[in-house]
Amino acid sequence: MSAIALEGIEKSFGATRVLGGVDLDIRAGEFLTLVGPSGCGKSTLLRILAGLEAPDRGRVLIGGAEVTGLRAAARNLAMVFQSYALYPHLTVAENMMTPLKLRDLPRAARLPVLGPLLARDRYRALRAEVDRTARILKIEPLLDRKPGQLSGGQRQRAALGRAMVRNPVAFLMDEPLSNLDAALRVHMRAELSELHRRLGTTFVYVTHDQAEALTMSDRMAVMQDGAILQTGAPEEVYADPDSLDVARFVGSPAINILPGRIDGTGGLGALGTALGRFRTTDAQKVAIGLRPEHLSLAPAGASGFEGAVRHRENLGADVFLHVDVEGIDRPVVLRTTPTETRDLAIGAAVGIDADARAALVFDETGRRLRFEAAELVRIA
Amino acid sequence: MASRAHLWFVAPALILMVLILLLPIALAGALSFTDYSLGNSGASFVGTENYERIFTRSTYEKMFIATFRYVGVVVPLSVGLGLGAALLIHSLTRFGALYKTIYFLPVMAALIAMAIVWEFALHPTIGIVNATLERGCGTFLEAWPWYAKGCDRTFPLWLTDRDYAIWTVAFIGVWQAFGFNMVLYLAGLTSIPRALYHAAEMDGATSGWDRFRLVTWPMLGPTTVFVVTISIIRSFQVFDTVEAFYPQGGGPSKSVYVMMFAIYEKAIQQNLMGIGAAITMIFLVFVMVLTLIQRWLVERRTHYG
Repeated sequence: MSAIALEGIEKSFGATRVLGGVDLDIRAGEFLTLVGPSGCGKSTLLRILAGLEAPDRGRVLIGGAEVTGLRAAARNLAMVFQSYALYPHLTVAENMMTPLKLRDLPRAARLPVLGPLLARDRYRALRAEVDRTARILKIEPLLDRKPGQLSGGQRQRAALGRAMVRNPVAFLMDEPLSNLDAALRVHMRAELSELHRRLGTTFVYVTHDQAEALTMSDRMAVMQDGAILQTGAPEEVYADPDSLDVARFVGSPAINILPGRIDGTGGLGALGTALGRFRTTDAQKVAIGLRPEHLSLAPAGASGFEGAVRHRENLGADVFLHVDVEGIDRPVVLRTTPTETRDLAIGAAVGIDADARAALVFDETGRRLRFEAAELVRIA
Repeated sequence: MASRAHLWFVAPALILMVLILLLPIALAGALSFTDYSLGNSGASFVGTENYERIFTRSTYEKMFIATFRYVGVVVPLSVGLGLGAALLIHSLTRFGALYKTIYFLPVMAALIAMAIVWEFALHPTIGIVNATLERGCGTFLEAWPWYAKGCDRTFPLWLTDRDYAIWTVAFIGVWQAFGFNMVLYLAGLTSIPRALYHAAEMDGATSGWDRFRLVTWPMLGPTTVFVVTISIIRSFQVFDTVEAFYPQGGGPSKSVYVMMFAIYEKAIQQNLMGIGAAITMIFLVFVMVLTLIQRWLVERRTHYG
């Protein structure tokens, strides 16, 4: 049984339709990432799940029970916000204690000065909870500081602590890493994955960064224009995208799109070069997606594609070569090694080899064509 | 050779500050130890006589009582009402601008003109206030002894009864001041990040009171310190209503003899510059202490940055 289910969620803000009938099943204990360009409705979907926003139509189920009409506070979910939303006047420990206090203590015990005196044992128990969580997150030395005295990464941890402290059904995270610097972001990715493995709780993570989705999630849901385009494991979404939009969005550097066509006999060609043959007779224009790692450098004149080097993007271990090919607006990007390209000057003529077996073919509307390939040749 | 450019940057501000702030204060301070009056060729040093008088004579005791009563009523009420009105208006989805304008009108109006209107409204025989109260006679309101007494004889002479005068003036002060506080609080409210309310909701703050305690009130801390300080200073400065209602000396039995009016009466009307300067110095000390408390509070308690 799925831990959380969203069924037919629709939402409009005024005349703008933000979500158009989204269905999503989230399994218990999985790390699911909602990923998409900004404005695709992923944050709205998360907020509907949290209960901070009400859907126009559709149902939200948690553990099989419908919670659509339930307010956020009653859903037992925890959320980490992009801005962390820590209470600035409270110390980290008090921040973390707040959800425990609001849920577990009666009103009288929450009185400012009197409360802690009246319910001393209860407060001690809550403090023990806070300390336990702080130990997991290694933020014990920060407990007595206020959010204003913390660095971005420390605030992030404090916000996580506040979410973790009361054992919620699921953690919802709305771009929690986007306010951190690049190095810390990469570090926190690993740490969040580890935390997820350790807690075994369901994580629902929203990001616009496909790299975060690929590195952390068990499954990712790619969203665009208020709809989920594809849901699946990161490897699956990367290697076997259902549509051109998904192929374009996932992967960095982005996939190369070559204009091509399938002729009446099923022959697939691009830029005047035959790539293979499909068992079909529907002649049509297609878009052929080739990822940078499926292209390789060849001597000029020896292969089907030729072009001039426009830019050499050196990442140390890899060099991404941007090559202008006639007939394509954007430069084709291929992954090479530093040794291969050491002597290449900008403007040099090069040939490109394509691994046609890895080619992803999309029809004119951007839908993936999965004909059984009769014969796909490697161009040499 | 060290550059002296910095002097040129600092000099204009420094000179102006000395000329229009520090020098007059120093002069007033010096005058407060003399019996100087305008037109006199000289003045003689009287030591602390002026101050002794202020702290011993009953006129000045009345001055302090009237001032502190006024401040004591106007500050809490105008801050409280300002916050209340701001919270209500902030929660509105429509007509917010209309209410804002209505509550802000008294702030924009010239208080001296408004005082005349209030004088009419509170007039014992032709005023709308007592006329309205009289209409309630014979109804259940008479169960309230005070009301019954009013019906029996007459309703109070709001502005000329010494038991009521200062409270009536204070009421008008609240009426005039709370719109200003409301605007400051509204500005404070709009600057509270929405995410904090969402976080509070996720943390289980279900009632409005919980949200107010957890988010709104603490986040308004800096605003509150500012609003309270401004309100206190402005209440200490009350003058125009008193001058408009009681041009001849501070109301019934000097019960509305507030500090600013005392300064005006002594120094200007009676040309007793020495004693006027002494009251001014005491006034300055009050305001100074308040400002220091505010600075301290802002830095210690409400600075979350």
